[in-house]
Amino acid sequence: MTHCSKCHSGPKPKGDFDLRSLETDPGNDSAELWETSLDYVKAEEMPPAKQSRLSKSDRQRLIRFLEEKLRFHSRLTTRSKRIKPRRLNNREFENSVRDVLLIEDVGTHQPTDNLIGDALHEGFDTHGDTLGFSKFHLEQYIDAVRRIVDATILSGDQPRSHRYEIDGDEIFAAHTSQNTKRPERRGKSDGFDFLDPKQLAYFEEFKTAPQTGWYRISIRCTGKDRGRYDSNETGVYDDDPIRMTIRLGNRERTFDLPDEEVMEIKLNEWVAAGSRLRMQHPTDGLRMRSNGNFKFQNAIAGQYLKEHDPPLYAKVVANMKSPKSRNARRPESWQNWVKYWQGPRPRVFSAVVEGPFYESWPPRRQVALLGSNPDADNAAAILKPIAERAWRREIRSEELDQVVRLVQSRADQLGDVEALKEGIVAILTSPPFILLNTEDVTSTDRFATKFNYFLKSTIPDTGLREAVANGRLNSFDGVREEVKRVINQSEGKPFLRAFPFAWLKLNDINFMAPDPDYYHHYHRKRVSEDMVDEALHFFSHAINENIPVTEFLSADYSFINADLAKVYGVADVPDDSILRKYTFTDGRRGGLLGMAAFLTITADSLGTSPIHRAVYVMENFLGIHPSPPPPDVKIAEPDVRAAKTIKEVLEAHKADKTCASCHEAIDPFGYAFENFDPMGAWRDNYSTRLSRPAATAKGRSKEKPQGIPIDASSSFRNGTHYRDITEFRKLMLTEANRDRFVRCFITKLLTYANGVEPDNFPEVEKIVRTSAAHEYRIVDTIAAVIDSPLFREE
Amino acid sequence: MNTTRRSLLKGVGGVLTLPLLESLSFAAPSDAEVPIRFLVVGNPFGAHPEHFFPTDFGKDFTISPTLQSLDWLKDRMTVISHTDHGMVSGHGREISFLSGVLPTDAQAFPEKNMSIDQLFARHVGSQVRYSSVGAALEAGIRMSWTANGVEKLPITDPQKLFNHLFLNLSPEQKSVRRDMLDRNGSILDTVGSQFSGLLNNSSKTDRDRIDQFQTSIRELEHSLADRKTWLDRDKPSFDISGHFAESEMTIANRYDAIFDMIAYAFETGLTRVASIEFPSELKYTDIDGVNRSYHGCTHNGKADDTVAELVAIESFQVSRLSRCLKKLDSIKEPNSDGTMLDHTIVLFGSGMGYGGTHSNRNLPIMVAGGGFKHGGHVDARDTSGKNMPLCNLYVALMQRFGIERDKFNTSTGRFDLQHG
Repeated sequence: MTHCSKCHSGPKPKGDFDLRSLETDPGNDSAELWETSLDYVKAEEMPPAKQSRLSKSDRQRLIRFLEEKLRFHSRLTTRSKRIKPRRLNNREFENSVRDVLLIEDVGTHQPTDNLIGDALHEGFDTHGDTLGFSKFHLEQYIDAVRRIVDATILSGDQPRSHRYEIDGDEIFAAHTSQNTKRPERRGKSDGFDFLDPKQLAYFEEFKTAPQTGWYRISIRCTGKDRGRYDSNETGVYDDDPIRMTIRLGNRERTFDLPDEEVMEIKLNEWVAAGSRLRMQHPTDGLRMRSNGNFKFQNAIAGQYLKEHDPPLYAKVVANMKSPKSRNARRPESWQNWVKYWQGPRPRVFSAVVEGPFYESWPPRRQVALLGSNPDADNAAAILKPIAERAWRREIRSEELDQVVRLVQSRADQLGDVEALKEGIVAILTSPPFILLNTEDVTSTDRFATKFNYFLKSTIPDTGLREAVANGRLNSFDGVREEVKRVINQSEGKPFLRAFPFAWLKLNDINFMAPDPDYYHHYHRKRVSEDMVDEALHFFSHAINENIPVTEFLSADYSFINADLAKVYGVADVPDDSILRKYTFTDGRRGGLLGMAAFLTITADSLGTSPIHRAVYVMENFLGIHPSPPPPDVKIAEPDVRAAKTIKEVLEAHKADKTCASCHEAIDPFGYAFENFDPMGAWRDNYSTRLSRPAATAKGRSKEKPQGIPIDASSSFRNGTHYRDITEFRKLMLTEANRDRFVRCFITKLLTYANGVEPDNFPEVEKIVRTSAAHEYRIVDTIAAVIDSPLFREE
Repeated sequence: MNTTRRSLLKGVGGVLTLPLLESLSFAAPSDAEVPIRFLVVGNPFGAHPEHFFPTDFGKDFTISPTLQSLDWLKDRMTVISHTDHGMVSGHGREISFLSGVLPTDAQAFPEKNMSIDQLFARHVGSQVRYSSVGAALEAGIRMSWTANGVEKLPITDPQKLFNHLFLNLSPEQKSVRRDMLDRNGSILDTVGSQFSGLLNNSSKTDRDRIDQFQTSIRELEHSLADRKTWLDRDKPSFDISGHFAESEMTIANRYDAIFDMIAYAFETGLTRVASIEFPSELKYTDIDGVNRSYHGCTHNGKADDTVAELVAIESFQVSRLSRCLKKLDSIKEPNSDGTMLDHTIVLFGSGMGYGGTHSNRNLPIMVAGGGFKHGGHVDARDTSGKNMPLCNLYVALMQRFGIERDKFNTSTGRFDLQHG
């Protein structure tokens, strides 16, 4: 310990860490410092290489000492493992209401759109302290549930069905701009063409569903002119099928259309009254020529005719206004070619909409909820199974009395069915529904509920509740089997999206998007969506193949499409938008460390910051939380116009001793990524465009003087040096770093599951060891987390 | 069983409404403090920079041609140069004026592309009859968005605005609304009865989140009671006849009617958040010297006469606002030293920098009133020369409005605008 006190004592201890703050044993306040010390000593980062005279055996002794102290501390403190209750987040609320009411989704009429957005904590939307609750929340819950129930339980007489036949010239393009005075474009008798991907088409006769019920929709359509124009110009890949999305309110159905061949799309959908029926051409192409509006795309039609139909081109040009006229345009101007547009697009010939239909009256979904005799006198019996699903446990005696009284007091005024709806609204806005993990539930109910919200973000079904009650999930093996079953039956989709989204902070990708003037491709092709998809796809792959968690770092492959291939500088991928496995041979990419999503999230719009990237790597991959700079420190702002590299700026910063001790720990985790620009593309030199005034940069001159070469080398505190990203990636696979990564991943899983970061070091270590015993397989690791006392709260 | 709780609440409501009958105020019963309000005026094309931005900086700046009508307010306003949302050029991005976020990027933000006025409206909630009022002539410019990324459309006809603000509901409409408030009240009663199981078993650590829930129920009950009181109480009466008596219905007196109604709605506590929009479709040709369309004038090819028309339109917008601010400044704020203007944050601007170049950088932004220590003409660039995110200003406005947050959408800090 005298080793350490040389630096970590006195009025200005290094790294703002004074040995005395450890006290003689870990306490509730100092346990975290003990954990950090252990982590640094294990990774041989402390004592630092320059000062280290610690022998191997001494280091092992120190590690054992720290570990024992920490274990002793956790045994001493009988702190409860119980997690505080938290409210459902909006995602969970929507899924849960859906499953309580036994419907396909909450409805097409955007009934939950009024809910107040959930704030995130470190990317997580399950964080108890962050999920606020106020009267606004409560009122919006009541409103939302009312709207959902109103579109599920219908009172009164059965509405009559109508048949609407729609021809091509009865299809209109809804206004997309502010200019609502211009008449809306109407289709022709031979069909309606989608000219602009922003355009939403609607049927004149059927703008919105007049009543709630089943509707049969059939649409005759085709894909037109795929590949006619150069895909570099349109941004639409030749190998991507032309698609069409049909939107019923907020429910979307997307279809691949055959080229120049009629297809009849048939839909049978339960649609809520007032939901709009709209169609759209979904594509990430046809955007951002010039300053970004679709209309500029029309210039492509002119270019095309000039090349392929010179006589027509000449005719159009000849008919233009004389060049002397005040409003004369250049022949290539987009305005001249709007009529001649033949870009890739769906065409709708005609459609038939029929409805509303009901398989019975009252509809089946209503009978499923209220039975065939919805009498307020039976309210207790009718509402009990609903409440049991909603509250995720058995209903205690007298618990529903107030709800039943509410129903019966309203029955005279509102009628039986409407009064029962009031009861359902009350059940779905009551604390046992809204609050997860309250203390009054049994441990089996709590576990079943937590398990299901963890993987499926919704209420547990009776099968799972029984399995838990029968003790089938009492063991690691039992949990693992159930996790595998959930994943195989693709019921775990909510987890497969929500968890990696939170862990990797994918939500932040456009918070500081690459500058649109310099990173055109990123904006033109909405590449951020591809980047997010890549990360999610990799995660799903990991789960489906049950690969070792460590492969997130060691993989030499990822999943990319043509848009990402452009970012990664890769040529041999098909010309389409489908993500496929791709193996990188340059040692620079593959896995999380080479992903553009991470590299973009951590960059500014014009420049990159090794610090941001280092902190992201440390916090999300290694579980190290570097302390923020002291408040009185003056930080030089990076100046993209200056000829200094970020490394030179940081070196200057490190000349200050107080800064140096922390930055020696942080910076090496970030320098390695300097070869990746703000959207994650490889670069050998810093761009020179930025160092010139904006005015000349805008002139897009072709000459490209060499910028300052990038130095992506650095040394860790333990003395290991790397020259570039390929060497850095190897260093990330050392035993110490691999351990850190697995522990960090487990911590993130626990944070997602519990809504709070775990603070029980030995129990987390136990999960790490179980994971190690199963070759770090990801499904086994997840099972180890769920089987842990930290998840079970026991 | 819960009748006691409920009747107690009713009793409280009754006591609180009493003093109201004596005053002319139509504000919420529960509000004793001096209110702070927000008025935002926006246009879709920004402003001709050379005419909008003053040529000198600091408190003693020289008023610019476009802002000329606000000369009387010079020491109580701040014109901000070099602030924007970092958007590329082109139309359609001005709709991010009050949020910094385009609808297409809204999913990245917990409150989607909610505009600052709607954040304020949510904060005020049911303390007033209308949490916000939006108005324009002919069409809106899409500047108000709710926390769900849903556009809030302005009322585009002064007569409709009058009906909305000052015309009382029919007895049937009132009864439908009262019925729904009653039903929601009973739901709350029932929900409030579902805590017994929870509380019997909960330890201290669980209590705070359960308490939060219970508090929310109580607060919502109060708020429903408030709304019932609104329903029963007549709206203030406003004499609109003067505005439509003139032989010629110019856009000037139609906008004056809108501004006067808003000022009166502020004064009578009908609302505390208002937005007024100057759309592109409107015919501005009854302004002296204007012959072309608004959009046409922005593409002036730097021709002096066309630029003059554009500046005339922009000055017109500012002058309507100036007239309204004079009115607010002539009314003393009850229970305080200042005027109503000192308790109204005023923001003028656009999400577009200048239509002529399609630039969305360096937005024309002016803040007035609100009891701020105003700074005249301010250069908002940081030391490296980067423009300030406009959301930094919104953080300052937000805090003045009583919302204790230090971030709003794309903010990176807080614009230095102190109150007091």
